[in-house]
Amino acid sequence: MSRLGSLLGATAPPWYPLHFIPGSDLIGILPILIVGAGSVVVLLADLAVPRRGHPLLPGLSALVLLAALGTVIGQWVVDPAHSLGFDGAFASDRFALFSDFVVLATALAVVTLSPEYLRRRNLEEGEYYILLLASVSGMLVLDGATNLIVIFLGIELLSIPLYVLAGFARGERLPQEAALKYLLLGGFASGFLVYGMALIYGETGQTMLTGIHAAVTHSALHGPIDPMLLAGMALLAIGLLFKVSAAPFHWWTPDVYQGSPVVVTTFMSVATKVAAFTVFLRLFGATFAAYRSEWEIPIALIAIISMVYGNVVALAQTSLKRLLAYSGIAQAGYLLIGVAVGRPDGTQAALYYLAVYAFMNTGAFAILTLLSRRGEDCDRYSELGGLARRRPLLAALMAVFLLSLAGFPLTAGFFGKFLLFTAAIHDGQLPLAIWGILTSAVSLFYYLRVILVMYTDVPEGSPVTDAAGISVGAESTRDGGWAGAGIFSKAGVGVVALAAAGTLVLGVFPAVLYTLLQGISVVRG
Amino acid sequence: MSWPILTVLLGVPVLGALGVVVVPRQRPRLARLLLLATTAVTLGLAGVLLVAFLAIPPISDARLSGTADGKALRTITGPISFQFQEQVAWLNTGRSLSATHPAFNEGNNAFNQAGPPPINFSYHLGVDGLSVWLIALAALLFFLAAITLSRRKERLRAFASLMLLSEAGVLGVLMSLDLVLFYFFWEAALIPLYFLMIGWGDEHRGRAALKFIIYTVAGSLFMLLAIIGVYFISGAQTGVHTFDVPTLIAAESFVNSSRGSVLTLFGHSFTLLNAQDWMFLAFALAFAIKIPLVPFHSWLPDAYSSGETPFLVFFAGIVSKLGAFGFIRYCLTLFPQASHTFQPLMMGLGVVSILYGGLSALAQRDIKRIVAYASISHLGFIVLGIFALNIDGLNGAIIQMVNHGIIIAALFICVGVYEARFATRDLRELGGLAKPMPIMAGLFLIAALAGLGMPLLNSFVGEFLTLLGAFQVAPAWAVLASLGMVLACWYMLRLYQGITQGHLRSPDRQVLAESANALDRLGRLDAGVVEVVVLAPLVALIIFLGVYPGPVIRNTRFSAGQYITAVDQVPATTAAPAGRAVLAAARVDP
Repeated sequence: MSRLGSLLGATAPPWYPLHFIPGSDLIGILPILIVGAGSVVVLLADLAVPRRGHPLLPGLSALVLLAALGTVIGQWVVDPAHSLGFDGAFASDRFALFSDFVVLATALAVVTLSPEYLRRRNLEEGEYYILLLASVSGMLVLDGATNLIVIFLGIELLSIPLYVLAGFARGERLPQEAALKYLLLGGFASGFLVYGMALIYGETGQTMLTGIHAAVTHSALHGPIDPMLLAGMALLAIGLLFKVSAAPFHWWTPDVYQGSPVVVTTFMSVATKVAAFTVFLRLFGATFAAYRSEWEIPIALIAIISMVYGNVVALAQTSLKRLLAYSGIAQAGYLLIGVAVGRPDGTQAALYYLAVYAFMNTGAFAILTLLSRRGEDCDRYSELGGLARRRPLLAALMAVFLLSLAGFPLTAGFFGKFLLFTAAIHDGQLPLAIWGILTSAVSLFYYLRVILVMYTDVPEGSPVTDAAGISVGAESTRDGGWAGAGIFSKAGVGVVALAAAGTLVLGVFPAVLYTLLQGISVVRG
Repeated sequence: MSWPILTVLLGVPVLGALGVVVVPRQRPRLARLLLLATTAVTLGLAGVLLVAFLAIPPISDARLSGTADGKALRTITGPISFQFQEQVAWLNTGRSLSATHPAFNEGNNAFNQAGPPPINFSYHLGVDGLSVWLIALAALLFFLAAITLSRRKERLRAFASLMLLSEAGVLGVLMSLDLVLFYFFWEAALIPLYFLMIGWGDEHRGRAALKFIIYTVAGSLFMLLAIIGVYFISGAQTGVHTFDVPTLIAAESFVNSSRGSVLTLFGHSFTLLNAQDWMFLAFALAFAIKIPLVPFHSWLPDAYSSGETPFLVFFAGIVSKLGAFGFIRYCLTLFPQASHTFQPLMMGLGVVSILYGGLSALAQRDIKRIVAYASISHLGFIVLGIFALNIDGLNGAIIQMVNHGIIIAALFICVGVYEARFATRDLRELGGLAKPMPIMAGLFLIAALAGLGMPLLNSFVGEFLTLLGAFQVAPAWAVLASLGMVLACWYMLRLYQGITQGHLRSPDRQVLAESANALDRLGRLDAGVVEVVVLAPLVALIIFLGVYPGPVIRNTRFSAGQYITAVDQVPATTAAPAGRAVLAAARVDP
């Protein structure tokens, strides 16, 4: 319990209205409160904004996210270990705080990138920021959830705004398809999730993860494997695997990634994955750990299928967003290695890779954001042709992200994969490491091909050069009379540069992040 | 020497690369100067390192005693001594989750055992008698490449900075004494090389670069697995988990690992590979692709024929040697038993490379491809020498690595000059160029003769020693390999004669040769100042090392002895009696 929290809880002042909730619980969920309230504030501010695309809304959203980030850092510093709140239904341990931080930082990057992009795509609606913040609050709930109901609450809270955001460019065909597909398949996955929870509840009589952990451990130690419990775990896993877009639960991913506005794709591909993996690691790394011998092989198989399917199908893509979608499926496979290994080193490696993934994937998508033109996204290989000559800095940064996704040394992706493979080999799961290695080799081909396109000149006067030449980044801000455009346009490049800096720093000094992870605590829940 | 010379050596090219990038676009002359200065300083430092290394007592003793009659021919043994070591912790996961929080330890089976072993790797640099020569060679070749670059105006800064980064990567591979650091540099060096390949060269460069990178990285990734495997298996035996190379060599974890189980199938019994064998193969695959040995060579002709001359000077000159270096430094020392197990396989691959490379060189009409296949053939000798697993063979291989770096750089510069002047690489269209370009022809002749292994030129010494070593182990392989020297005469003379003798066969080329376009700035067709300045030191080295190889041989022999000691910790059945080796060596030493 934090000192401040226990102070509030113990001697609640007379003005404190919620006597049935201890103050420490509220301190624990302070980031969620900030983001949730922020969402409402932005909603109200939207009414007062004089015209479309006013910088007030993104500014406010960024402030809200910054405040939440500050709170998370404060919680990390003040409150290290056991901090279960709400009778054990919500944990604000460092495990959750770590993911909170990654989610909030990603959201901040997306908010910074958005105004300029939305203006170019003519999508400047205030609802965008409201939905984004609502989704973030859902992710924060999910990060700390230690109760089945809270997990479900988090998943729905993060998903429903995303269904809307996916179809935000509602005038076009692809976004409509994306939103509908995401909604239907998402609802389907939620069904699996709830069914799994029901089975587990039916078998253990518990919704609290602490209670379930005790029951699972008891069942594993005494007596035969409980098929009902196992079925519950399987269904729960399917629901989560859908969210992290692991094959064969990935069918929505390419279409949704392609159809959504690219800022939404950025957010979806990184933040959703981080939050879902957090709860995945909490459930399978701690709560269901005693049943590991049962779920280890299925999870490992899904990891292998994801790595192979994602990387092989990515080879055939001609759309950059689909390419990154399949790459995301493959990356989910690598992360699942950490889940399948399960031990502390597997969990640490997976968390490390999550942070690395946030840097590199946000960066790669952010560059697509910066390059997208009036009315449509930058999505074809050919649009990157000669980028090195037109915008050498962006091309170089994109190369950094792609090399990192491919796992080259000097970039963070290398140590991410290194730690995952090390954990797998230490656990005796050599096949996982071998498949990881094989598919990494395959992935080189498509990542390096993008780099090749960027660094190859396109013939002068081809339509692509013309179209891209007039519309990219800073040049396009000239035509609009929009006040904040310049700031946000520069900030967009700043975000990319920051992500690249993070990728490179973690690629040379892995200890920076790893030391943080060593101090991490997980409440078993 | 108390100052960290190796870190400085590594840092100078990196700083130079950053410096070149910040030079304004309008000042190409300044960028060029900076590039030359950086590579020159690196070369100077490498020279200081070499001299300082040779002055270290046991090594200098070996060198000095060599002046007395025959004493140096004693088989010198002892552990591999790494000098100028620097070590800084890089990642140390002393504590783990389980230590800080009980949640992972209590109450369930999965986490009851002790936490994972800490992952330790460090920034550990050092040189021995093998790498110090290659570092000097690398510094020299990068310096010469910088000079050949001096004519370029377009995109000079990008080329220069990428080239300096490659130099840092190559030096890092040669200096690192930690498996993770080694792998780090090994892969990181590919990034600037990839950008150099896709940015400059002929129209097929994109495909060639992709092929090269995918080949090498696919091989290297298995090496990464094996590195992790070494870490855990060696750690389980000694109780100390480490990636540190000297510690691992000293631990001798794989000296006497038990053989794999025996499988009987259809009346034949097969010994299954054990962990050591698999890890050896994983390392060997990475190195065999990098060298390349024949079944893994198909990236090389494409890469060499599409690259530009300054790039090829260091790419062909030093990067391909990294594979051979890896074989000696890692395969022999970490897996002595497996090295003996796979000795026939590796020697066989060496011989196949020699013959296949030679025959393919004969079949080519593209002058750069001829040199590329010649390179494969020569590199086969190096592998043959390494896996003779005796001092003569290994010593020959080490010398030949340096020699080949010098010769191949000279050959590519020569061929590059002809390509630049006449805008063709087709041997049929060239000819009769000795008369209009006499200086060039003279320099080319020496390089070509060195390439075919002419006595009194440097290649002869190395190839002879490798064959000598191979003959003691497998006479049949040595005989077959010596056919490669016959082939070398054939394809090298075919190349040389095709270019310099006869007459220009294509009328268009005749016109081209007379047009001002083909001439250099001074209006001359023949080798210009730049070509002479670059080729002169290489040719001088070719002649010097051919006529008076004694000092170098004695020094590398000392180092070869250390590596053979490491690999012969296994009771070897194939090693030749020491007396015979000494007798044989006495014949080469002038």
